[in-house]
Amino acid sequence: MKSRIFRATVSVGLLMVLSTIIIIMGVLYAYFDKQFVNELSQEAVFVKSGVEKNGVEYLNSLGNTKNRITWIASDGTVIYDSIADEAAMDNHLDREEVKEALESSVGESIRYSSTISEKTVNYAVRLNDGSVLRISREQYTVWTILAGMFQPILVVIVAAFIISAVITYAVSKMIVKPLNEIDLEHPEEAVSYDEIAPLLRKLSLQNKQIAKNMEELRRQRESFNTITENMSEGFLIIDNLTKILSHNSSALKLLGISGDVENKSVLGLNRSESFCKAIDMALNGNHNVQKMDVDGKYYQIFANPVFQDKTVVGAVITILDVTEKEKREEFRREFTANVSHELKTPLTTISGTAEIIKSGLVKPEDIPHFASNIYNEAQRLITLVGDILKLSKMDENNITSEKKPVDMKDVIKRVLDTVRPMAVKKSISIEFQSEDCYVNGISPILEEIVFNILDNAVKYNKDNGSIKIVLENKDGHVELSVSDTGIGIPYEEQDRVFERFYRVDKSHSKDIGGTGLGLSIVKHGAAIHNATVTLKSAPLKGTTISVLF
Amino acid sequence: MRNTFDEQLSLLNVELIKMGALCEEALAAAMKALFDSDLSQVTLASEYEREIDQKERDIESLCMRLILQQQPVARDLRAISAALRMISDMERIGDQAEDIAEITKHIEKKGTIERVAHLKEMSVVAAKMVTQSVDSFVKGDVELARDVILKDDVVDADFNKIKDELIEVIISDKYEGKDCIDLLMAAKYLERIADHAVNIAEWVEYSLTGVHRKE
Repeated sequence: MKSRIFRATVSVGLLMVLSTIIIIMGVLYAYFDKQFVNELSQEAVFVKSGVEKNGVEYLNSLGNTKNRITWIASDGTVIYDSIADEAAMDNHLDREEVKEALESSVGESIRYSSTISEKTVNYAVRLNDGSVLRISREQYTVWTILAGMFQPILVVIVAAFIISAVITYAVSKMIVKPLNEIDLEHPEEAVSYDEIAPLLRKLSLQNKQIAKNMEELRRQRESFNTITENMSEGFLIIDNLTKILSHNSSALKLLGISGDVENKSVLGLNRSESFCKAIDMALNGNHNVQKMDVDGKYYQIFANPVFQDKTVVGAVITILDVTEKEKREEFRREFTANVSHELKTPLTTISGTAEIIKSGLVKPEDIPHFASNIYNEAQRLITLVGDILKLSKMDENNITSEKKPVDMKDVIKRVLDTVRPMAVKKSISIEFQSEDCYVNGISPILEEIVFNILDNAVKYNKDNGSIKIVLENKDGHVELSVSDTGIGIPYEEQDRVFERFYRVDKSHSKDIGGTGLGLSIVKHGAAIHNATVTLKSAPLKGTTISVLF
Repeated sequence: MRNTFDEQLSLLNVELIKMGALCEEALAAAMKALFDSDLSQVTLASEYEREIDQKERDIESLCMRLILQQQPVARDLRAISAALRMISDMERIGDQAEDIAEITKHIEKKGTIERVAHLKEMSVVAAKMVTQSVDSFVKGDVELARDVILKDDVVDADFNKIKDELIEVIISDKYEGKDCIDLLMAAKYLERIADHAVNIAEWVEYSLTGVHRKE
């Protein structure tokens, strides 16, 4: 802007100087021209009177004047010339000024020299005798004058240039200064020209609008981040080159990645086949759901393409941890398989035995034996169904009875009465140490817990073994621990014995009986009482189960 | 122009990750075929191998396009030339995984493999090396790459132990000789796979630091 002002002003200055020179030259030159002709005419009148009186004598007496004086006879021959030899001069009748003077007593003409640097002004008057007197004077033309003035003009121009440059510099600086001083962040505060006030107002308005939009964007981003950060599902947004545009921390946690991943390829997080497939399909415009496992965890991946003008510009990927669900599913399948298996075994025996009897192949004296077979298996079925019912009741958590203080010692004594006959059969000695302990709970369920623990202690004990029951108060809690000298549980299976139908002895041997649900019932019963069950077992040496109420 | 260059570079990156992932899958399939006698994995391994070959060609032409059209310099050129070398190593891993899977078909007695205790160990280490070498590329992790290079000694030592174990088996039961030779081949392939993983790691190191070990 400064340079523009500078240029404009300097050129205006120069233009002014030039035009002034031209105008002045034009006016002055015309004025001097007129003056010049006047002078000539006066001189002509003066010389005319001299010549009319004295003829050539007078002219000769004038001697050398600065003007050229020519006397021309009416027939055109030159009578006298102050410079050239009259005889050598040709007829002057065709000269313009002479012609004019002969016609109307005065005549005038201007003849330029061949270089136009000079011109000759001729003035002619007719004398009374019809001859013509001509006076000529040479004069510089306007161009010659201009050429002569070239130097001073140049000096003037240079001076004008310098002066206007200095002034313009200062002026342009002054004009631009308030513009430069405008604070674009706060244009409304600027004191400046009225002409740009609307611009500044508009600017300030737009500034406010932008600030508002930014704030809105920031808030939106923040709320988006808050939402995605608090999602337990992993959330990723990628562009069509698989570059991560946005992610939440859950996604990184689920995929086991730490560090900065923004702007890197999502395949850097995981490159398993199903993950690649999910992303490929999404970027090809297909919604899809894939399953994958990472370090023993099961994830479900929902990959959705993002369209813009019908082309895929990216994808949104949600990662769901379905480990729990997958495990439950597996557990349920196993449970169903186990239940059907456990129920089928006694039923097969019953059906088979009954079929033999039906076909009449059994001697009457053998009938009691077969009948007892059927009876035993039926009993087993009843226990099994009973156990399943108990478990499912505990599972559903709809225990209606109120919890109340229960005398554990009493409970154990009652259970011991039912278990003792079997223990006696295997010559197992039972030691029972007990304090007065009360547990706030549901009596039948507590009984069930104790029964299953003691039942196992007897069932899986060796002949002539022993069982030690300790019931004591411990730091405000009640602890019941039952140790046996039985077959124990292999270390690798100790985690699994609380699972339903899980049995260390895979043959489900009938000798020992049992449904595989005992410890499950203990675990669930304990859970209802907020008690913890711990198991310590050494294979072939014995098992200790403690319940801490 | 620069924009397409960056896009193509990141495309190259993605394709390399995918190819690495395919190598891992191919090796996993081969290992399942070998140790679990799962013959369905044999066809799977050869399918992976074909996919890997296709990827190699794709990446190769992508690299050529990048070099010819964009004339990259310095770091970018290093990354592209490293990629060109890496894919041939990856392709070899795919081939050898398929070879291992093929061998499985000829092993008659399934029990022999259990007598060669170090084979399982070696396969775990080799598979981990492949995974780590790809990881080091994905994450641009020089330390991880160097770790892979160091692990090569473990695999080489395992290979020697396996040889001794196989000799023991042949001495005790000459009828298992044929299987033993097959297993020796499998072990050799595994050892080669580990070598290729080391190569990949070296190229990763080169593309990150500009210095290649074997220079």
